[in-house]
Amino acid sequence: MALDVGKFIKAPEYDIKIITHRDVFQASACEEDRFGDECQEMSALIVLDAAEMKRMGIQDRANVRLTSNWGSVVVRARASPREEQKGMGFMVNSPWVNTLVSDETTDGIPAFKDIEAKITISKNGITGIQELLLL
Amino acid sequence: MEMTEPITWTCTGCALLCEDIQVHIKDNKVEKVEHACLKGKARVYGCKHTAISTVDQAEVDINSAISQAAEILEKAKNPLLYGWSNSTSEAQVAGIELAQTLGACIDSTSSFCQGITINEIMNGSIPSCTLEEVREKADVVIYWGADPMSSHPRHLSKYSYFPRGELRQRGYEEDRTAICIDVTQSRTAKICKAMFFSIPPGGDAEFMRALMDGLAGRVPKLSYDFDVKRILELAAVLKKAEFGVIFAGLGLVYSIKEEFDLILEFMSTLNRFSNFSLIPMAGHFNMRGFNHNLHEKTGFIHRVRFTKNGPVSGVEYSVVEQLKHGADAVLVVGSDPLASLPLSIARRLKDIPLILVDPCANLTTRVADVTIPCGASGIEVGGTAVRLDGKKMDISPIVQGDGLSDEMVVRRIMEEVS
Ligand code: SF4
Repeated sequence: MALDVGKFIKAPEYDIKIITHRDVFQASACEEDRFGDECQEMSALIVLDAAEMKRMGIQDRANVRLTSNWGSVVVRARASPREEQKGMGFMVNSPWVNTLVSDETTDGIPAFKDIEAKITISKNGITGIQELLLL
Repeated sequence: MEMTEPITWTCTGCALLCEDIQVHIKDNKVEKVEHACLKGKARVYGCKHTAISTVDQAEVDINSAISQAAEILEKAKNPLLYGWSNSTSEAQVAGIELAQTLGACIDSTSSFCQGITINEIMNGSIPSCTLEEVREKADVVIYWGADPMSSHPRHLSKYSYFPRGELRQRGYEEDRTAICIDVTQSRTAKICKAMFFSIPPGGDAEFMRALMDGLAGRVPKLSYDFDVKRILELAAVLKKAEFGVIFAGLGLVYSIKEEFDLILEFMSTLNRFSNFSLIPMAGHFNMRGFNHNLHEKTGFIHRVRFTKNGPVSGVEYSVVEQLKHGADAVLVVGSDPLASLPLSIARRLKDIPLILVDPCANLTTRVADVTIPCGASGIEVGGTAVRLDGKKMDISPIVQGDGLSDEMVVRRIMEEVS
């Protein structure tokens, strides 16, 4: 039987700075049903520069694991339709990205728009809302 | 189908509080909504999962839930009352009174949002204006770290860019210049076309200093790659403005919060040459109302603790610090901290007695020790609210709810504790 070497090779990790933002479509879907599939689909999502994704070997719509010192979640990666600044990822405000935000503040304002994290391809499914509650 | 006569409604979907929404009601149900954006419509139609009265996650009658909430708060040595930005001013005032009765800390979402900006506007350090003035007079608008097309979808069409105004009869085509300064080409940035200035994350302070150099006729210096000629061109546009407005978003606020005085310096430099105001892009419909109401009572806009010697304010009384190491019981009204705060901080809500008052089942209801349902503000409950520019607005209910308002819930808790 041929040995699946790929199984033992860890997918490479890349540093990324995540910036949160708002989106009217996601906000409306989550206002209607925070536990619904649409809310999850629009929230558990990171948008990256297409060329950066290529460099990192991440395909459009692939699942990726995002890990910071504060938590780890699996979300879907999407290529931005325009060129973005390098090393950055965009996530809409939601419990998924909030899993990664530091609890350290000097002024009572968490770093929602300055999240240092690692990104790597993941074979796992997207972290569900129920799982987030258990984290 | 025969259509009912519409009623004019003020939308509580965001702090723009659009007062021109037409709602058709039939049999106490919303039949049709006109003029509202998608977010406003979602607000009118409400949530799919409404909250139910629970104690320890088991359904109880509302009176038992209220009694249990009162008992928890009475027993606590350091209770925190948090949320409030999705409540009417009347409910906020009741909350402030409850905090005073309990000797509790009280804070709102403005603590990690636009509170810092609103504070400077309220104390007169930053000039501001109303949205009506923007519509009638503004010729230069800057969306800085703000994307109203995503956060306040009718902002540009109702006030800041597209409409004709008293002094702007040629509207956006000739009379208004829209500028966007942001880290990505947002929906708003796309509208601003060539007046979109893409800066690196955290690059706002430097950009602001460079603009001040440009205004003063000095050559701007930046540590990151940016075409200095564009900054000089922008400075020239700002100098020529007759009525300029900066809409400050969280992108800007978070980026320069550690040197916030820079905004004050920037505004006064700008106003040596021109006439600029600043409006904070508050999100939730009555975030600013909480700041006004608390200020009226205590002289502080948020992060307050009621002590024997009177109210005190400081970062140690902020929701974030209180959840990290302070509060031993929490009452949340109209917010979903488990969804909106960093999980590293919100996680502690699972370890301390938690009471939630909300119309909807949300993430926080799943871990709350007590849940008390209430009518949705602006849908089933009327009152007043403060728009993002500080204007007080009346909001009226459109349907008759069968439950208590959040104000009534808070007042019932107060009756039981005092
Ligand atoms: S812009 Fe805000 S207030 Fe106006 S309709 Fe949309 S959600 Fe409602």
